[in-house]
Amino acid sequence: MILILGGAASGKRAYLASLGYGEEQIADGVLDDKQVLYGLEKLVAQDPAGAEGLLPDLLKKEAVACSEVGSGIIPVSYEARQAREATGRLCIRLAARAQTVVRMVAGIPVVIKGRNP
Amino acid sequence: MLILLTGGSACGKSSYGEQLAARGPKPLYYIAAMQPFDDECLKKIARHRALRKDKGFETIERYTAVDSLQLPQPGGTALLECLCNLTANEMYAGGRGPLDPVQKVIDGVENLRRQTDTLIVITNDVGSDNETYSEETRQYIRYLGRINAQIACMADRVYELVAGIPLCVKGERS
Repeated sequence: MILILGGAASGKRAYLASLGYGEEQIADGVLDDKQVLYGLEKLVAQDPAGAEGLLPDLLKKEAVACSEVGSGIIPVSYEARQAREATGRLCIRLAARAQTVVRMVAGIPVVIKGRNP
Repeated sequence: MLILLTGGSACGKSSYGEQLAARGPKPLYYIAAMQPFDDECLKKIARHRALRKDKGFETIERYTAVDSLQLPQPGGTALLECLCNLTANEMYAGGRGPLDPVQKVIDGVENLRRQTDTLIVITNDVGSDNETYSEETRQYIRYLGRINAQIACMADRVYELVAGIPLCVKGERS
């Protein structure tokens, strides 16, 4: 599994396209049988308490992309705080298991674990 | 040796900081800047305490004025967590404010560095989401940004944590 991390509009989708994934292979914020899950942060926000339970299904994906949600001021709303904490912790677990972790910086895929696929 | 760890929320800064600290000379001090305001803080503190359990840290709670903190024994290792709390605490110290916390926080780090062999400082990246905040919050972001830049300048090593992976952005990888 390749884990792709990056801020909003940092080039995650373009990177997926460069790996050969078409739109029809990419699910956006929902868990289904497509090879790629994009928008992990949206999936986690639906049920932050259940985030850990997503791990087995996510590890079966070819690629998982998640937006950076933890690099701002702590949100005022309790739900938003829970969601960003749960997203961060889940990404740590995914990164530990992923073959490759790529972090997008201004459209450039920076490989921070493993090898560029 | 001064090591600065930065990154967003829940990116693995604490657990990496503890790992690094455990390699340093004893005694190990954990300097906690988070004030237990409410239940959520208490839970966070409890999570951090559980992470540190059996690692031999002596916990010192210090919410402000780290610049005058005297460690029980010099020459050991200290982990200061975190500058984001310390900065906010200094801004509103004594119920006044907001005050300019920059020099106070930097002097605090310098004070601990003088008393330790290895000092690990945890901060937070709070300015990378480009959300619109109130002027007071923007002021906090600017203060913390300046503190981070100055501590990074003083530091021997700086790591950014991304999903638990330490990325060395200054100095040599250990």
